[in-house]
Amino acid sequence: MRALCLIFALFCLSTANARADDAAALREAYLQPLPGLDDAGRERFFRGRSLFRQSWVIAPADDKAAGLGPLYNRLACISCHQKNGRGRAPDGPDERMLSMLVRLSVPGRAADGGPKPHPAYGGQLNEEGVPGVPGEGRAALSWIELPAVTLAGGEKVAQRRPQVEFVDLAYGDLHGSLHSLRVGQPVYGLGLLEAVPAATLLRLAREAKPDGVRGRVNRVRDVATGRDVVGRFGFKANMPNLRQQIAGAFVGDLGITSPLFPSENCTAAQAACRVAPSAAHPELPAADLDAIEFYLAHVAPPPQRDADAPQVRDGAALFERIGCTACHRPELRTGPAPRFPLTAGRHIAPYTDLLLHDLGPGLADGRPDYRAGPRQWRTPPLWGIGLVPRINEHSQYLHDGRARNLQEAVVWHDGEAAAARRRYVELAPEARRALLAFLESL
Amino acid sequence: MNDNPDFSALRRRLLLALGALPAAGRAAPAAPSRQPVVVLTSYNDEVFSRFEAAFEKAWPQYRLQLVWRMPHDALPTLRQPRQSGIDVYWSASPRNFASLAAEGAWQALAIDRDGLPGHVGRARLADAEGYYAATEMAGYGFIVNPAELARLGLAVPQDWSELAAPAWSGRIALPDPGRVGFAPVMVDIVLQAYGWERGWAVWSAIAGNAGSVMEAGSTFVTDEVASGRCPLGLSIDFFSAAAIANGAPLRFAYPAHSGINPAHIAICRDAPNPDGARAFADFVLSAAGQRLITHRDIRKLPVRPAVYRELPADYFDPFRAAERGVFDYDGDATRDRLGLVAALFAQTLTREHGELAGLWRRVHRAEAAGRDVGAVRRQLEAPPLSAAEAADPALLAPFRDRREAATAPAANALEAQWQQASRARRGDIARRLDRMGA
Ligand code: HEC
Ligand code: HEC
Repeated sequence: MRALCLIFALFCLSTANARADDAAALREAYLQPLPGLDDAGRERFFRGRSLFRQSWVIAPADDKAAGLGPLYNRLACISCHQKNGRGRAPDGPDERMLSMLVRLSVPGRAADGGPKPHPAYGGQLNEEGVPGVPGEGRAALSWIELPAVTLAGGEKVAQRRPQVEFVDLAYGDLHGSLHSLRVGQPVYGLGLLEAVPAATLLRLAREAKPDGVRGRVNRVRDVATGRDVVGRFGFKANMPNLRQQIAGAFVGDLGITSPLFPSENCTAAQAACRVAPSAAHPELPAADLDAIEFYLAHVAPPPQRDADAPQVRDGAALFERIGCTACHRPELRTGPAPRFPLTAGRHIAPYTDLLLHDLGPGLADGRPDYRAGPRQWRTPPLWGIGLVPRINEHSQYLHDGRARNLQEAVVWHDGEAAAARRRYVELAPEARRALLAFLESL
Repeated sequence: MNDNPDFSALRRRLLLALGALPAAGRAAPAAPSRQPVVVLTSYNDEVFSRFEAAFEKAWPQYRLQLVWRMPHDALPTLRQPRQSGIDVYWSASPRNFASLAAEGAWQALAIDRDGLPGHVGRARLADAEGYYAATEMAGYGFIVNPAELARLGLAVPQDWSELAAPAWSGRIALPDPGRVGFAPVMVDIVLQAYGWERGWAVWSAIAGNAGSVMEAGSTFVTDEVASGRCPLGLSIDFFSAAAIANGAPLRFAYPAHSGINPAHIAICRDAPNPDGARAFADFVLSAAGQRLITHRDIRKLPVRPAVYRELPADYFDPFRAAERGVFDYDGDATRDRLGLVAALFAQTLTREHGELAGLWRRVHRAEAAGRDVGAVRRQLEAPPLSAAEAADPALLAPFRDRREAATAPAANALEAQWQQASRARRGDIARRLDRMGA
């Protein structure tokens, strides 16, 4: 306990540095706790953090962290959420998906209304298997360059789209299946997003919006209660709450069972998987699930930088004026949060409405997820987005990492965002630079 | 998916590499199957994922498969039939490599060692038989909080003996050699550097100056220093290197007498994919692989001297430091006594630590007042055993074997004796100081 407080002290020091705008310390900006945690809270925070960072071990092993697999993608949560930031897509088919995954399904709906898992592969391609259990195969990603888009003033914006090929498939072909490519999402600020009342999301969905922008809430199954509730997490708002998102990641990405998902992720067609040893039943005890949930609920979003610089202020005004804020809401208010009181009753600036929007055919994955249609995506929060290159050492954006900089991401917008995108393309170059400077300040 | 079936996979890759094929709108070539290379390791994701990405780019015919095990759990894994299908063992646990070598667990490493010295100072960077090689190293020294030091008017020490001065009283975070894995070598470095007699004298005074005795090593010593509770801690560089590189206001200082803690790589005797294993070991030791461990989130010390030439000037270069004698510590020479010295230290200097610290404060006060307490000081500084006694094989054996055996009754009995003797000695010193009114 004392040791944990001491680690916190290290944190305080690095925050102090961030305030002094120490460039190096900004690399830790996605790792800070919400201010106001008491000693016991800090202890839980750091316990959860250790679990989030830890590499898991194949059973049987003389180690508390046993239970990886039988099928899995990576060894640790942090593998796809490096420094609590976002993952990246491979540069080409020779490179493996190190912080990205492919969701799979077949047409139709499962009993709970969600995507119908592939009968042989389940809901996600697990590239790795423990000894004796063949990994499911490999998703080889290639990029197809598209004609560049010309902006007002003549600047050209390149565009690329991914194409995936499944190789070394161990359980039969994947013909006729649907798939969705997704990079690891940032994992800060999630407790605050969870504390935005469902009623707020329903109201935002109903509100009249300009430019033909609609917005819909997803409704997904809460496995703890068996009820259908508003979806919030995941690229299609396909998870109802943080706890289920975490337990879902444990079983889906690491092959670790938990009280919420007590069965290993083996399909009927995966015989070796079904007989492989489990470390325990479940492998992740409730207390550990509590600790990670507590941790992720209390990771703070990084504060904006340079908010008063004239260019950034101009950019913020433009962001509103050309219609970006119809979806990327600059302010939300959190409601009561009895489990995590530090997240309650706060004004936050996440730049999202947590609603689903049709972003056009170019970005569509063609894979419905509960009420999210094949062309719909949840508006992603933009807080912290300006630190991606510094912290994650890449500048890939959008659900599959296809955008190689912020401008490419904006130019990909279409569908409900077509009007905002058109105005962006028509902005004078200095105005575009101001808008990008604003995004970089977030 | 392939729209150009008559191209061979290899040719397509070649063309791609030459930039001849990325035609717009055309599907890229099929990715070929890859052979797994199974690596047993205890490196964290920060380190390993960078090697996965870079190795597979350099060697597209292989696919790294990672099996993660704590060092204590790695031994049983490698002792399973066919060594559990592991190709490569890569970890910072020198003793595991040595024990497994003795069991015949490795095949000859047989990789090109051009540009890789066999030693840094007197520390070996590869075993004599050619079974395993160091892939990176960490150095012993002081983690300091410069702001706190400045506030206290203390300079960053150049060597261990400076920490014996009264100014450091209560200001040092000391990892307990009885509990913290890296600390026994640290104790031994000082004993070799100053010799047995003076070495124990320095340790007694440093232990007397310790403000915190840490029961866990790793980043906890760093945390103690970052918090300002102690302005200096005894540690290994990598526990603080990444924190410093990412902005923590701390500094690591290497003393004139340091030592290294290496990580090694070896290829299993039964490796299913020996070529892939060798390719990986070769990659880790290549300039490209060695550069990866210098990333600011990792900050380890490469074993390939050429790599330091590309690094920032403030990146510590152990090969240059070795020219000044910083790494004259010869770990092989005194490996057998590590268990013994750690146990002696723990029983006589860190157990009932408050009493020792109190006696040292009284001695410092008396000396500051100009009193002659030389005899008492010498008694405090005297080694718990003579050099000759400590070299007795009968005494060394129980401590050397302790790690392997579940229980070590002989060692425990000796420890109980030392503890008593040390208590008696402290009692005696206290009475002498009382009589002098000091
Ligand atoms: C193989 C890569 C991978 C691993 C490993 C991984 N994640 Fe994720 N994570 C993702 C992806 C991809 C998404 C987006 C999922 C979706 O859209 O359904 C995501 C989303 C999330 C989210 C939701 C973020 C948001 O803004 O909605 C949380 C929370 C999360 N992961 C936690 C975890 C935890 C906890 C673990 C470890 C048990 C973990 N992840 C392991 C790839 C990964
Ligand atoms: C109709 C709703 C909507 C509007 C209007 C909109 N966006 Fe978005 N934005 C989205 C959605 C949904 C995504 C995620 C798309 C995806 O991942 O494929 C997104 C993604 C982004 C991203 C990438 C975020 C990330 O985490 O990768 C940026 C940057 C962005 N938008 C900026 C803007 C800007 C600038 C504007 C105004 C020109 C704008 N958006 C207007 C809905 C909208």
